[in-house]
Amino acid sequence: MNFAQPMPLRLVAILQTDCPTCRLITPYLNALAEAAPVSAISQDSEPDTAEFARQMSVRFPLTRDPDFALSKRFGVVTVPTLYVLDENDRVLRQEPGFDKNALNEIAALLHLSPVATPFDGAPPSKPGCTSRHLESPSGAPSAPALDVYATRGDSASQIHIDEDEFEYCFRVFKDALPVIPPTPGRVEKMLHAACMQGRDPREIVARVPPCYGAATVEKIAANAVMAGCVPEMMRVLIPLARAVADERFNAHGVQATTHFAAPLIIVNGPVRGELAFHSRQNVFSNVARSNSTLGRALQLMLLNLGGARPDAIDMSALGNPGKFSFCIAENEEENPWQPLHLDNGLARDQSAVTLFAGEAPHGVSEHNARTARGVLKAISYALATVWSYRACMNSEALVVLAPEHVRTIHRDGFTKENVRDFLFENTGIPLRCYDGDPGEGVAQRALYQQITIDGEPCYQKFRAPQSIKIVVAGGTAGKFSAVLGSWAAGPRGSQMVTYPV
Amino acid sequence: MPTTLVNPMNETTPEAARPPARLAALEGRTIALLDISKPGGSAFLDRIEMHLKHRGASKIIRAMKPTFAKPAPASVIESIRSAAAVIEALAD
Repeated sequence: MNFAQPMPLRLVAILQTDCPTCRLITPYLNALAEAAPVSAISQDSEPDTAEFARQMSVRFPLTRDPDFALSKRFGVVTVPTLYVLDENDRVLRQEPGFDKNALNEIAALLHLSPVATPFDGAPPSKPGCTSRHLESPSGAPSAPALDVYATRGDSASQIHIDEDEFEYCFRVFKDALPVIPPTPGRVEKMLHAACMQGRDPREIVARVPPCYGAATVEKIAANAVMAGCVPEMMRVLIPLARAVADERFNAHGVQATTHFAAPLIIVNGPVRGELAFHSRQNVFSNVARSNSTLGRALQLMLLNLGGARPDAIDMSALGNPGKFSFCIAENEEENPWQPLHLDNGLARDQSAVTLFAGEAPHGVSEHNARTARGVLKAISYALATVWSYRACMNSEALVVLAPEHVRTIHRDGFTKENVRDFLFENTGIPLRCYDGDPGEGVAQRALYQQITIDGEPCYQKFRAPQSIKIVVAGGTAGKFSAVLGSWAAGPRGSQMVTYPV
Repeated sequence: MPTTLVNPMNETTPEAARPPARLAALEGRTIALLDISKPGGSAFLDRIEMHLKHRGASKIIRAMKPTFAKPAPASVIESIRSAAAVIEALAD
């Protein structure tokens, strides 16, 4: 009997030590190397290569290419590039840059399970850097590499003080509100909860933009103590730290912009009940410890680890009260449609946190409309003004429907998709508004889509129905909803991200 | 009473690259003008380009970030790497 053996394939990667994408891909190469022949070629010096191998805990053979002979033979243009070779060293597949789908396809070629999951904190894809032998010689020294993809950090230092601890926190940590002093005993309780979830205190969960401070589990715990979180909140804070550092969310821009945006947390799933998140009346305000402390912990992490201080890197012209705390839970019990985390690809029984770079809520009062159309028209007029009334297609919006409005809309047979489509099709700016003075959004009108709303020619406000995000939250008394404009939206700005908890 | 706190701040010390020496003169030098793609940036840089040429700069490289909302991609940095100096139009 002749059983065909799988072809012995091997993977070769060409890397640079100061390329962020090479650092991003290295843990995945480590995972592949556990069960397949993987090796890599560094284009850099021996000390740089050795330091890279140490920092990244490289678990595959890493050799050097001092005269770029191998790089030229492979014809590499971008690093990293992965090459799948057969037993005769023929290239069966080459993959430049970082791409999770491609990594999983390569894993399959090597007869391995997928190594890249959607919610591991890394973006779906990231372009690489120019191969060293193709770089233009400038003679200028390059900036030292920021080790943004190291997986373990140092222990937090301890501060010994001989003064009032609250005043010390005001003076040194510079937050505008009092914090609970992060004493070792309090932090230890947080770490105990995290360790019960299998976390190492020195594990770097994320690098928090814009200064890319290392959010180790211990640092997250210290900030959680300061915010007043219960230890069990660590299970939410760790995926939240990953979410805020996700390149799609682009906290680098959100935290430094002159705009109003602040990261709004939306909590979904069973964790709402398990940790007593509040989703009913006063959902945006001071109603529940879990909402307020989770939102505050995120803001403290952004300040203390991300470094976007409101008197320096955070350049918001007017700011946002949400920068004290900005966290709601969806009222799934009053939502006749699927909740937000299902819209974003998760299962109903999966707990989740979603981040949206939003302005403060703009209230929509509609107490007299008796139909879905009447309620939604009121909301569409509020939507038309987000960002700036004549600016179309550059932003998104979150619509928070309170239960009384939901009941009216649902009674008329509207699905969530119907709601989104109605708002998309009925939110526009009349063409006559563009005839007057020049202003924001006017110069781009050639790019806008012309539609007719109630017989009047208009430009469509949003790029797509999906630009309008819908959640149900708030109390059961009061015919209100809220609209939150976004920061610059899409791949060139900030995209909503949802992470499982 | 003495108290001990766990440091909640970022303790990584950034290693900033030293800025290059200021140019003594513009004659014969290549200057890059980087537009971050905010409205009005190009008008500002058009004016700067005119002044630089008037003062003897031999070549002007114009580059633009695809979005003001994110750091410049490597390709944009690469396109201006050969310049002796870079002037960035930061805002509208």
